[in-house]
Amino acid sequence: MSGPLVRAEGLTVAFPGRDGPRPAVDGVSLVLERGQSLVIAGESGSGKSLLCRTLLGIQPETAAVSGRLEWKGRSLIGLTEAEWRPLRGGSIAMVFQDPTAALNPLLTVGRQIMDAVRAHRRCSGAEARARAIEVLGLAGLPEPERRLASYPFELSGGMRQRVAIALALSAGPELIIADEATTNLDVSIQAQIVNLLIRLRRELGLALIFVTHDLDLAAEVGGELMVIYAGQPVETGEVRQVLADPCHPYTRGLLRSAPTLRSTRAEPLRPIPGQAPRLGTVGAGAPFRDRCSVVVEGLCALRRPGWTEAGPGHRVACHRFARDGRAGLP
Amino acid sequence: MTAAASPARRAAPGLLVRLEIGAGLAAGLVLLAAIVLAAVAAPLLAPADPNAPNLMAVRRPPSAEAWFGTDAVGRDLFSRVLHGARVSLLVAGAGMVGSLGLGTLMGLLRAFGPEPLRPVVDRMIDIQLAFPYVLLAIAVTSAVRPSTPVLIVLMVLAGWAGAARVVRAIALRERENDYVKAAEVIGASRLRIAVRHVFPSVWPALLVLAAMQMAAMIVFEATLSFLGMGVQPPTPSWGGIMLDGRQFMTSAWWLTLLPGLAIMVTSLSLVLVGDGLEARAERLRMREAGA
Amino acid sequence: MNAPILHAVAIEKVFAGRRGGAAVQALKGVSAVLHAGETLGLVGESGSGKTTLARILIGIEQPTAGEVRFRGRPVRSRAEWRAVRREVQYVFQDPFTALCPTMPIGAALAEPLAIHRLCPPAERPGQVERMLGLVGLDPGMARRLPSQLSGGQRQRVNLARALMLEPKVLICDEIVSGLDVSVQAQVLALLVELQRKLGLSLIFISHDLRVIRYMSDRVQVMLLGETVEEGSAAEVFDAPRHSYTRALLAAIPDRNRAPA
Repeated sequence: MSGPLVRAEGLTVAFPGRDGPRPAVDGVSLVLERGQSLVIAGESGSGKSLLCRTLLGIQPETAAVSGRLEWKGRSLIGLTEAEWRPLRGGSIAMVFQDPTAALNPLLTVGRQIMDAVRAHRRCSGAEARARAIEVLGLAGLPEPERRLASYPFELSGGMRQRVAIALALSAGPELIIADEATTNLDVSIQAQIVNLLIRLRRELGLALIFVTHDLDLAAEVGGELMVIYAGQPVETGEVRQVLADPCHPYTRGLLRSAPTLRSTRAEPLRPIPGQAPRLGTVGAGAPFRDRCSVVVEGLCALRRPGWTEAGPGHRVACHRFARDGRAGLP
Repeated sequence: MTAAASPARRAAPGLLVRLEIGAGLAAGLVLLAAIVLAAVAAPLLAPADPNAPNLMAVRRPPSAEAWFGTDAVGRDLFSRVLHGARVSLLVAGAGMVGSLGLGTLMGLLRAFGPEPLRPVVDRMIDIQLAFPYVLLAIAVTSAVRPSTPVLIVLMVLAGWAGAARVVRAIALRERENDYVKAAEVIGASRLRIAVRHVFPSVWPALLVLAAMQMAAMIVFEATLSFLGMGVQPPTPSWGGIMLDGRQFMTSAWWLTLLPGLAIMVTSLSLVLVGDGLEARAERLRMREAGA
Repeated sequence: MNAPILHAVAIEKVFAGRRGGAAVQALKGVSAVLHAGETLGLVGESGSGKTTLARILIGIEQPTAGEVRFRGRPVRSRAEWRAVRREVQYVFQDPFTALCPTMPIGAALAEPLAIHRLCPPAERPGQVERMLGLVGLDPGMARRLPSQLSGGQRQRVNLARALMLEPKVLICDEIVSGLDVSVQAQVLALLVELQRKLGLSLIFISHDLRVIRYMSDRVQVMLLGETVEEGSAAEVFDAPRHSYTRALLAAIPDRNRAPA
């Protein structure tokens, strides 16, 4: 089979509103090849979680999905539950933010993983057990055999997230979606989990979609970056290239808002004024216009910006950048 | 009753929809309002004096002239049931308000009162919940002559523990929230925290409880009056009317069945209101969590 | 150096085990010193005891051993704590649970004034309005309920409420960790500005070393109920002595670091 693993074009997920549909994910296009990683960065309400859920067919029932979304060239839109089942947890696995909620507190770790293995493959109990030990080992749990008999509450938060990753690996997926999977963890554990995901991608050739609100973390994960605001992608490109040369006012604002290990009060943070628009209320025009300091009069309010090349593989959706280039940026 | 709600739903956005009143709640409210109105207007509605005997027309079955028939001394049963509604609703209402008041006080005391009192309140609730209320009533009425005030006290004693348990659970849950600690940090006293911060969170549950408790109290009043320990004759109360008709249960069925039906329909309306309020609170909570 | 305004001396805290579980020693003889006008950063991971220490410093937890001193005097009784809380205030981590859900914002802000009878009731709305302005919120917010506000707005309200008593010391417990980056920056900037305007001394608690570095004059690194390193922010961040501090620093994601 050739072609990309995931391809989306103009993918839109909208909720019904009083005056028409309200898109929460609005015209997302992306291509993800085998073994590659894509970081989706945005703040709460940006639609990044909904986008992930849509890739897995677990968006809320009221959401209407339109545009194109393909898995290995086959459309994922309008699949029945029965058609989704082998994909979900089989070819595409997800690791959630809260491992405690993702694991059943009443079942042992081993039982849960073995169930997951046998849900996607006919095999004997012994084979399932062997596979469970294998994936726990892959997820970096020490003494995987002993862990089979543990209950989730006996494990620390970091260990639980490793079990959740093992669970995701159990059916041998080709894509792992990690939705803020390290957000609630301590920094040292967060670093370990990120390193684990990077290693799994390299060693098992998995594709990885990593969702985060932390651009520094995005840099650590590497690969492609998509910055998303109010449901719309505003800047994409190789992570480090984008972060070294951010060309969308929102990306720049985010970077100036986030302190680094070297920031002190001598160089005050420059917050983005205002707050993010409410879900699906952007309408036509540039999504960031209400908080942007370099709005192009008569354009940003009316028309949604198209993509402008900012470098090799680096694209920006901004009227100001399209008109004035880097000189026009704040 | 769904018929009453559906036109409103179609005429978007109707009052019932805006106030989040579901079909069950609407039905319960309409029924309850009708009963209360009938009770209030009893002197106007009643075709006859409820206490005037008519020995010429004794134990007449329901007919066009006397809708509910007449009782053993010829009093008009419909008038008696209407007037009985006033007594039963008043007594049950007083018992409900009293028991919820005492229960709320005890529940808040358990959560915010002085440390040494807390186990005492807990044990009192346990004992009260384990104690059969009819037995309690028999014990009390064997010592004191039964009367309406005694009946109300009995109702309060029988009902407060259930309310206290609900209030205690909510107050203990709310107490763990940071906003209670935050109030402490700005210097609020325990009394202030209990009354100003936590009580408003108890309120919705109290409304549900009030409806349920009212239903229970109406049945309780009927039970005690039927056992002769409640409202004393000749004042008509639903339980008392049933007691009067007890001897004729086989020959004059209407004397017990019709007041019994009044009790049933009233408690049904209250339960509908209670369930409806609870479901409404749940819906609003879910909405808030989702938004 | 002048005398500390707030001083935790050799604090021990043991939480009794639940249902037969082992007792947990959350703090093992930790001291902390806050001087007037400075910002002390308390940093550590979960289980480090930083929040317990902060809660002991405001008296909503009692230490098992050790004591808290305010302006050199030990604080012990309820009455003493009540007096101290006129000058030391606390902002809670979770903006969603720290505000009473049934009380309008205006009433919540006026409450400290009412409790301490600080100004006549007629002047309270004006005070509330002034404070809302100070934290960058619209005066119209006073009529709203917490559920109608965003996380960033609620955290501003929490800040405003703590400031109503015009405290000298503000303890901020992870107040930006639940917020989005752009909102976090707004709240941090506001805090810096308020500190300058009002001459506040701050204890700023966070698990995020980047935020700690930005906010703090001095930093105290905690691990499992003990202080492992303390010093000026520059010392701790540029020349960490303890291996744990170095490990923490290495774990912070950084866009400027070369890829692994």
